[in-house]
Amino acid sequence: MAQWEPKIVAFLCNWCSYAAADLAGVSRMEYPPNVRVIRIPCTGRMSPKFVLAALREGADGVWVSG
Amino acid sequence: MGLVERKATHRRYAQAIPGAFAITKRGTAPCRATCPAHVSVQGFIALTNDGRYREALELFKQDHPFPGVCGRVCTHPCESACTRNAVDSPLGIMYIHRFLADTDRASGKPYVPAKKAQRQEKVAIVGAGPAGLTCAYFLAIEGYQVTVFEKLPVLGGMLTVGIPSYRLPRDVIEAEIQVIKDLGVEFKTGVEIGKDFTVGQLREQGYKAFFIGIGAQECKRLGIEGEDYKGVYPGVEFLREINLGNRIHLGDRVAVVGGGNVAMDCVRSALRTGSKKPFIIYRRAVEQMPANAEEIEECREEGIELMTLTNPIRVIAENGRVRAIECIRMELGPPDQSGRQRPVPIKGSEFQIEVDAVIPAIGQETDWACLTDECACTLNDWGTMRVDKVTLQTSDPDIFAGGDAVTGPATVVEAIGAGKEAAVSIDRFIRGEELAGDRKTDWRPVEDVPTEGLPHLARHPMPMVSPETRKANFNEVQQGYDEETARAEAHRCLECGVCCECYQCVTACKAGAVTLETHGQKPETLTLETGAVILAPGFEPFDPSKFDSYAYAKLPNVITSMEMERILSASGPTGGHLVRLGDHKEPKKIAWFQCVGSRDLNRCDNSFCSSVCCMYAVKEAVIAKEHAGDDLDCAIFFMDMRTHGKDFERFYNKAKDQGVRFIRSRVHTIDKVGDTGDLAVRYVTESGELKTETFDMIVLSVGLQTPAETVELAKRLDIQLTPGHFAKSTPFAPVATSRPGIFVCGAFQGPRDIPQSVVDASAAAAAAGEILAEARDTLTVIPEKVPEVNVLNERPRIGVFVCNCGINISGTVDVPSVRDYAATLPYVEYAADNLYTCSQDTQDRMAEVIKEKGLNRVVVAACTPKTHEALFQETLMAAGLNKYLFEMCNIRNQDSWVHKHNPDLATEKAKDLVRMAVAKVGLMQPLQEAQLDVNQTALVIGGGIAGMAAAQTLGAQGYTTHVVEREALLGGQARHLFQTPDGVPVAQRLDQLVSDVSADPHIQMHLNSEITAVEGFVGNFKTTVKNGDQEQVIEHGVAIIATGAKPLVPTEYSYGQDPRIVTSLELDAKLKADDPAIKELEAAVFIQCVGSREPERPYCSRVCCTHSIDSALAIKARNPEANVYILYRDIRTYGEREYLYKEAREKGVIFIRYSLEAKPQVAIENGRLLVRLTDPILGRPVEIDTDLISLATAILPPDNNVLAQLFKLSLNDDGFFVEKHAKLGPCDFATDGVFLCGMAHYPKPIDEAVTQGKAAASRAVTLLARQHISTIGQVAEVNPALCSMCGVCVSICPYSAPSFRAPTERFWPGRAEINPVLCKGCGLCVASCRSGAIHLKGFDNDQIFAQLFALNEAS
Amino acid sequence: MSKDVIGSVLVVGGGIAGMQSALDLANSGYYVYLLDKSSSIGGVMAQLDKTFPTNDCAM
Repeated sequence: MAQWEPKIVAFLCNWCSYAAADLAGVSRMEYPPNVRVIRIPCTGRMSPKFVLAALREGADGVWVSG
Repeated sequence: MGLVERKATHRRYAQAIPGAFAITKRGTAPCRATCPAHVSVQGFIALTNDGRYREALELFKQDHPFPGVCGRVCTHPCESACTRNAVDSPLGIMYIHRFLADTDRASGKPYVPAKKAQRQEKVAIVGAGPAGLTCAYFLAIEGYQVTVFEKLPVLGGMLTVGIPSYRLPRDVIEAEIQVIKDLGVEFKTGVEIGKDFTVGQLREQGYKAFFIGIGAQECKRLGIEGEDYKGVYPGVEFLREINLGNRIHLGDRVAVVGGGNVAMDCVRSALRTGSKKPFIIYRRAVEQMPANAEEIEECREEGIELMTLTNPIRVIAENGRVRAIECIRMELGPPDQSGRQRPVPIKGSEFQIEVDAVIPAIGQETDWACLTDECACTLNDWGTMRVDKVTLQTSDPDIFAGGDAVTGPATVVEAIGAGKEAAVSIDRFIRGEELAGDRKTDWRPVEDVPTEGLPHLARHPMPMVSPETRKANFNEVQQGYDEETARAEAHRCLECGVCCECYQCVTACKAGAVTLETHGQKPETLTLETGAVILAPGFEPFDPSKFDSYAYAKLPNVITSMEMERILSASGPTGGHLVRLGDHKEPKKIAWFQCVGSRDLNRCDNSFCSSVCCMYAVKEAVIAKEHAGDDLDCAIFFMDMRTHGKDFERFYNKAKDQGVRFIRSRVHTIDKVGDTGDLAVRYVTESGELKTETFDMIVLSVGLQTPAETVELAKRLDIQLTPGHFAKSTPFAPVATSRPGIFVCGAFQGPRDIPQSVVDASAAAAAAGEILAEARDTLTVIPEKVPEVNVLNERPRIGVFVCNCGINISGTVDVPSVRDYAATLPYVEYAADNLYTCSQDTQDRMAEVIKEKGLNRVVVAACTPKTHEALFQETLMAAGLNKYLFEMCNIRNQDSWVHKHNPDLATEKAKDLVRMAVAKVGLMQPLQEAQLDVNQTALVIGGGIAGMAAAQTLGAQGYTTHVVEREALLGGQARHLFQTPDGVPVAQRLDQLVSDVSADPHIQMHLNSEITAVEGFVGNFKTTVKNGDQEQVIEHGVAIIATGAKPLVPTEYSYGQDPRIVTSLELDAKLKADDPAIKELEAAVFIQCVGSREPERPYCSRVCCTHSIDSALAIKARNPEANVYILYRDIRTYGEREYLYKEAREKGVIFIRYSLEAKPQVAIENGRLLVRLTDPILGRPVEIDTDLISLATAILPPDNNVLAQLFKLSLNDDGFFVEKHAKLGPCDFATDGVFLCGMAHYPKPIDEAVTQGKAAASRAVTLLARQHISTIGQVAEVNPALCSMCGVCVSICPYSAPSFRAPTERFWPGRAEINPVLCKGCGLCVASCRSGAIHLKGFDNDQIFAQLFALNEAS
Repeated sequence: MSKDVIGSVLVVGGGIAGMQSALDLANSGYYVYLLDKSSSIGGVMAQLDKTFPTNDCAM
């Protein structure tokens, strides 16, 4: 289990969290490379269907931030 | 500030705009400026300090070919100029480059500079001394065919035959000459020009230019009797013989005459060739000796006598051989032309010394035998060559000269400098360019390098062989620094120039953005022709270092509020972790001291209130508690708490609830508590008790002030300033300076917070717009549009462009493999990688590729869409593609930059992201941005000061404007006001404004009118205005809400029971009417905060303190004997209104503070009007017998509910309108096309109302001027067939974009539809629609699903 | 008259006030020269952490 790394899908709001993720890069912070970001116009756009689809596609976690 | 160190190459912060880096240069460091070869000293020292010795040496050799030679024998003018002299002792600069050269030589692979392209032209160098060799070195690098002719059998000139090897070992010279040989320079030794060849013959052989660097090798004669006897050896000849290996024994007693380095070399060489007692005879004192101090010191160490203030007058011989020398004692007389004291002989002091030999070493001159007839060069009176000072060209155009032959005997490094300059000239001469050209001749060093308080660091001594060991041989005396010492010495550098000019950035920048030319950039003067100027130069935080009592400069835990901001900031030096910077201790108690550099005439000149410090201190205290938890004790020491802005009082109350302590006391001293870093504060409480408290940190709430440079700017621009150095303006023209066409905004207009600065800024823009209206759109450019290609129903043909971003992406992600992977994905027709995808050439290329390959979808895998999507979309449009057929994937900010230690997984992630983007882009459709005409008419609701100011601005800019006013008269509340704080009657200026507005043909008045209905949206409103029974529909593009406010009718303080109890406005009416009763008043009492700052109305009415003080002064002006009292809670005369408060106190107005819990009591007893309260300072009840009570009543919003509903605006808890953004959108609403100004926003004085009126107009003009507005393409759309009419979308949308189609519609009656103009594309309705009837273009379900389905495909 | 009016404005200072003036003018059809002594715009506000009374981030 030590080698197991979860795969995470992140839905980030274009106006805040996505910009924050960019800033993390500009500030050269580091985090594990197992997150895949999907940019959405607003977390208002989030639909439960996306969470379910992500899990079905093999994501171990879904992160919605906005 | 300066909480962290910043490199010379920097950008101010990560989000800085422009995002490019800048290089900070203070100027040329004195070392480089002084060095005749202008070696980038600070640069090679910085590189040495960094352990990059090779780069350091390479940098040195860009300017100078002899780091090893000069590391031993240089006269080091750089060290004399070193700024470190002001601290302790200069850097051992030459010792450091000697270390670099020795390291290079020991490496076995010495550095040879790269040669530029080979050239055919031949150049002859005459003389292989330092000047000639240097010239040869630089010309060889330029690619020329260089031949050096040398008379002697050895190379190096004086380096080899003039300097003894214990100072400069032969192998050091040889190694550095070898590099010149390796560059392809040809050497011919034993050839004497003028004898073996002439210049004329060499010209015939094809030599295009000559450099004469033959030095000055003939010894000057002493000019005394007996100089030709045997045993007298000219110094240079003696050294030459020794250095050529011929041993000469002079005898035991040798007199060396002279005080320069040659004399020192002779005397020390004599010692080493077996003379027992060589000594120096010098006519001046030791202090005047031109030799290096080290040389003199080493002589002394070796036991050599320096016989100073002695001059030889005769050499005495016996049998034709020297026996003795007769000398005379000298004394120092008056200074001569060179500034040195002239030695004068002392009469009768002649004496003789027995000697075996005499070596004159008093100077040299040049043998000019090389100059044959065909040379047109000329000599000057000193027997040196006459040359142009800058170009070193002689009178014969192809002959250049430098070194001792031009200067007379001088230093090695001056010769090297000359050789280098001559090389530049010769290159230009051969190319036929202008010789002097843009050559840098001004090498002024920086002067303002701070050295105060720097710690002393001793210079590292040069290790040397002991005098006993070294005396007997010619082995090198100085042993050189080892690596550790060299680096430690380099670490002492003060980095005077900031940028060290190591030029590593030039090599590192793959985009070629930084060049040597960049480093040479100079300030430029530009002349701009503009129609108006807006001054927004801002403020500087007050520097509290001059307050000894606060010990800001001495105590590390006393910081300024600006520093506190940085400590609290997540991007600050501690990453937002609240700690003391000195010892990283988490503070438990923090105190803020208010009014540091504000409201203070005793210790600084700023008697104004800075307006913002109270609020920011409260904010910092609240945020500090958020960071550190509730246990953190925050105490704010203040005089008056000035929270007079919108929602500020609530914030203050909340801070009190959260436990922030507010202590009304001005603290005067801070004492340190032992070595703990803690700080003890003594203060007197309100009740007069002396208390001592200890804090971990103290924050000085520093005020705002106009920087001295802005005061200078104002002088240059000839605009008037206020006593506090702010731009002078008037209440009815608040953004106009005293000079027409120059406007002001922000903190230069007066100390103010962000929202007020933003309001000012828009107002200043409006004011400029008013005078420039007829030139609108004359200088702006509209980009051309390329017709769009129809790609509907085409199979996707996707192009993928993967960016290397220099090495930003490719340093971590394997870009070629991502590119190759992209090429394998479905529908991908083209995949490429680019060094910089955003560069102009790549953009052009991308547009070509789109056309060439017929691409109809594009993916760029690069940085982030937040900054670059628009750029790439423009390229798509330039290639005729709809800009929405594009997807960007973020493989830099969210991949390579954050996974730099995980390149494999980062590459995998990049592939995943590209695959997801490709999957999505295939489903993208071209989207249209609807264009809507903006109706060019404006509607202003409210005819008070703010509304009229807005209308006036709009009218002046040529827009038809309707003003709707409920009352029969224009002017609003201002009609009731007496005068502005500058003493001018309001009525006068108000009447002017009313008549101006009424006279403007663009402005239509609707008096006695109300709004009853509003339809439409931004750009196209239809508003119904009702006047009596008549209704009129006005079509307009924008609306400005200026509905004003009204005064509270008080219910306390016995108001209404006695005519002597009046409100502020009622008192104004009396003053306006010049009521004679005012003059008769014996006493008057003003009661502040009547209805304001109460639990049911928790806001400050902002204007009342100034208003009451102004009225009190008006009473005092009419009757100076009247006793005038102002009963207040906090006096809030913000900004320069503070002067009125000061004036009132000076004129005897009595201020008594009361608290909300113990309000004053008003009693009417036997016709007497009495006010009773407790004086907080005396602690005793006070009774005032008065003739007048003026109540400073609260300002209330009118009932705005109807208007708010009509325009879909919101109101705050107090009933004022809520602006779009408290800071950045103070005149805008969340509803597009509607703007806000005046007291409808918040209570404010006349100047601020005028400003906001203009500002709202400015915001409105930004819409009107566009004439069209385009919607965004990514909007929601209803499929009516699926709509179940549940109404969720209609109720949920924050922008009111969805609505039901009318029941009478022919198609889909009652179903939902979305107005694309109002839709902001947030997708809230899409996610909420139960029927799945709504789609969000560009972020549709299938598109997001496509990304999700592409998540997991094997890569 | 109209020939003498130049449709451009010089804004001195790239802090919040200067930026807002520049934006308004540019959006109103005037060419703007925005001048700042430092290498990026933003002025003092860019150094602030949060802003009162909403505690919004100043960036």
